[in-house]
Amino acid sequence: MPLIAASVSLGSPLVVALLAVLAVVELGLLAWALLDLARRPAGKVAGGSRLLWLLLCVFVQLLGPVLYLVVGRMREAPRQVPPPQAPGGDGHVARAAAALYDAAGRHPRAPADGAPADLIATTEGSGPAVELIGVRKVFRTAAALDGLSLSVPEGSVFGFLGPNGAGKTTTLRILAGLARPTSGEARVLGHDVAGAGGDVRAVVGFLPDVPAFYKWMTAPQYLRFAGNLFGLRGEALEARVAALLDLAGLAGVDTRIGGFSRGMKQRLGVAQALVNAPRLLLLDEPTSALDPIGRREVLDMIAALRGRTTVFFSTHILADVERVCDTVAIIDNGRVVAHAPIDELRRRRGGLSRLAVEVDEPQRLAPALEGAAWLRAIEVVDDGGLRLATVDLVAALRVLPALIARLGLALRRLESDELSLEDVFVDLVEGERR
Amino acid sequence: MRGFGAFLGKELRETVHTWRIWVLPAFILFSALSSPLITFLMPTLVDRLGGMPQGFAISVPDPTALAAYVEYLGNLGELVMFALVIAYGGIVSSEVRSGTAALALSKPLSRGAFVLAKWLSQLLVVAVAAAVATAVCIGLTTVLLGVGPAQATVAAVALWFVYAMVILSAMVLLSAVLPAPAAAAGAGIGVYASFAILAQFEATSRLTPAGLMPAAQAVLNGEPAHWQAPVATGIAVSAACLGAAVWRFTRREI
Repeated sequence: MPLIAASVSLGSPLVVALLAVLAVVELGLLAWALLDLARRPAGKVAGGSRLLWLLLCVFVQLLGPVLYLVVGRMREAPRQVPPPQAPGGDGHVARAAAALYDAAGRHPRAPADGAPADLIATTEGSGPAVELIGVRKVFRTAAALDGLSLSVPEGSVFGFLGPNGAGKTTTLRILAGLARPTSGEARVLGHDVAGAGGDVRAVVGFLPDVPAFYKWMTAPQYLRFAGNLFGLRGEALEARVAALLDLAGLAGVDTRIGGFSRGMKQRLGVAQALVNAPRLLLLDEPTSALDPIGRREVLDMIAALRGRTTVFFSTHILADVERVCDTVAIIDNGRVVAHAPIDELRRRRGGLSRLAVEVDEPQRLAPALEGAAWLRAIEVVDDGGLRLATVDLVAALRVLPALIARLGLALRRLESDELSLEDVFVDLVEGERR
Repeated sequence: MRGFGAFLGKELRETVHTWRIWVLPAFILFSALSSPLITFLMPTLVDRLGGMPQGFAISVPDPTALAAYVEYLGNLGELVMFALVIAYGGIVSSEVRSGTAALALSKPLSRGAFVLAKWLSQLLVVAVAAAVATAVCIGLTTVLLGVGPAQATVAAVALWFVYAMVILSAMVLLSAVLPAPAAAAGAGIGVYASFAILAQFEATSRLTPAGLMPAAQAVLNGEPAHWQAPVATGIAVSAACLGAAVWRFTRREI
C-alpha cells in the first residue's frame, strides 16, 4: 500500500506536509473517478464493468483512479438517434395501432392479471366509458372543477376542449386515479374510479401532458416495465413491446430516455399508454410537443382506434378535435359549457351558415343584397371579398349567381364557409365569461 | 400489493444504474477499509508527528483488532447513518416531484406496493453492502492486526442493521409526508438526534430502538447486552412507520 510505505519514511514536518498533499491528491482523484463512473453508462466503460472499476479505484489507492481516468473511460461517440421510422403519410402508425388491438384480441390484459371479468370483456354499447357526475375539485379555496358532469359513450373518440386553467388536466388526473374529487362521482366503465382502484386502472391507458420517464432506462426497458405492471410477461410482452416501439418510431433506438427529445418522449408516452391495449385511453394534450409529422401520426393513430377503444383526449388545438373527434365537450372555469357531437354543436350555435363571395366589384354587390330574407349579416373582408351569414344556405346559393350575373360582375369565388369549431369555442367561452 | 414485484425489480435496477449505488455502499465500504487502516497506522502517525513540547507525550495504546472493529461500528453508527438520512430524504417524494410516479401509479400499481418496494430495495442494498463491507473489514483487520472477535463483530453489525432499518423506515415515512427531500432529511436528522439522546437514558436505552447501538457496542466488547427489547421495538417502530407511510401516501394526490 503506498500509504503504508509513506508512513515508514515519516520523520519531519516537511514529509508530513507532503503526505497530506498526497492524501488530498489521492482523495481528489478517487472522487473524480467515482463521480465519472457514476455518470457513465456501462457501455462507455472499458471492459463494460463499472463494478470492476469501482473495486479497482477503491482497493488500489492512487493507481486505481489514475488507471480508470486514463484508460477506463471510453470516448463519448456523438449521439445517434434514428429518425422516426414512419415519416407520415403512409398510414403506418394508424395500421400499427389497429394491429396492436387486433393482436391483443381486444382483451386489454393478459389472463394472469386478475382484473374483474366485466372490465376485461368488451361491453360496447352497454354504458358510458366515462361518466362524471357533479364533480367538484377544490384546491384550498379555488374550485378547479365546479360540478362537472358529462358522459362519454364507449368506442367513441372524445375531444375535451377548454382554455388553459379550465380544469382539463384535473379531470384527467381524477379519471386516471391520481386525484380525488372533493365531491361528486367519477366513473370509468361503470366503476367508481376511487373505489375500484387498480381494477379500473388495469384497463385504462394514460398519457399526462408532460410525461416523465426514468432517464436511465431505454425505451424498450420502459415499455417492459410498464407491461410488467399490467402483468404482461414473456413472449406476449416482447411482441407488444416490439409493436409499440414500431408504432412510436423508436425501434432500434437504444439511447437512454434521458437523451430523448420532447417529441420522442411524447411518442414513447403514447406507446406506454397503449401497452395494455386499454379500453379507455386518456390523453392529456397528446400532440402538444410534436412536430407536424408527429402530430399527424398521433391523430391518425387516434382515428384508427375508433371503435377499438374509447379515446378521451384533451387539447386546446381545435383543428385536432375537428379532425378526429366524434363528440366534444367544451369546459370553462370547471364547468361544461357545451357537450355534443361536433356537427350538432355547430348547428346549435345559431343555425347560421357562412358564405365567402369574391367578385370584381364587391362594393356594388353589397347594397344589392340588403333586404334579402335569407341574409343575416354582410362583412366586407380585406381581400375584396364578402362574408355572408345566412339562415338558408340553399336559397343563398340559388340567388347569388343570378344576382351577380344581373349586375354584370365577374364571380371569382363562391364557397360555403362553415362555422368552425373555433368560432363555436370562442363564442361559448366568451359567452360564459360574460 | 399489486405490481410489487415489477416495481421492486425496477427499484433494484435503478439502484445499480444510477448514483444510488455509490452513496451508501461507498460509505459503508469506506468505513470497512479505513477503520482497520487508521487503527493500524495511528500509533505510527502519532509517534512520527513529533513537535511536542519538552516533557509532553501522547500515549496511544497498541492497536488491536477489537479497536478496529469498534472504530468500524462507530463509523457505521454515525457516518453511514448521516449518509442514509440524507440519501433517502427523497426516497418517496422525488418520484412524485419528477412526475415519474404519475405514470407508474396510473397503472395497476398500488400505492402500498410503491412505498414498500422502495423500502425493501434500499434495505437489500444496505444489507448487501454491510455484509460485503463487514467481510472486507474482518479480512483486512486480520491481515493487519491479527485475529479479533469476528463473530461478535458480525452480531454487532446485525444489531446496527436493525437500527439502519428503523432509520430507513422513518425516512420512508418522512418522505411520504413531506414533499421536499431537504425537509425530510432535516426531520430525519432530528429523529437520529432523538435516538442519540434517548440512548443516554437507562430505561429508553433498554426498551426502545435507541438502545440498538449501545447494545451493539456491548456485544462487540463482550459485555452483557440488552438487545432483545430494542430489536423487538425496532421492528415494531419500522412496521408502524411503514404502515403510516402507506396510509399517508395512499391519500396523497399525485
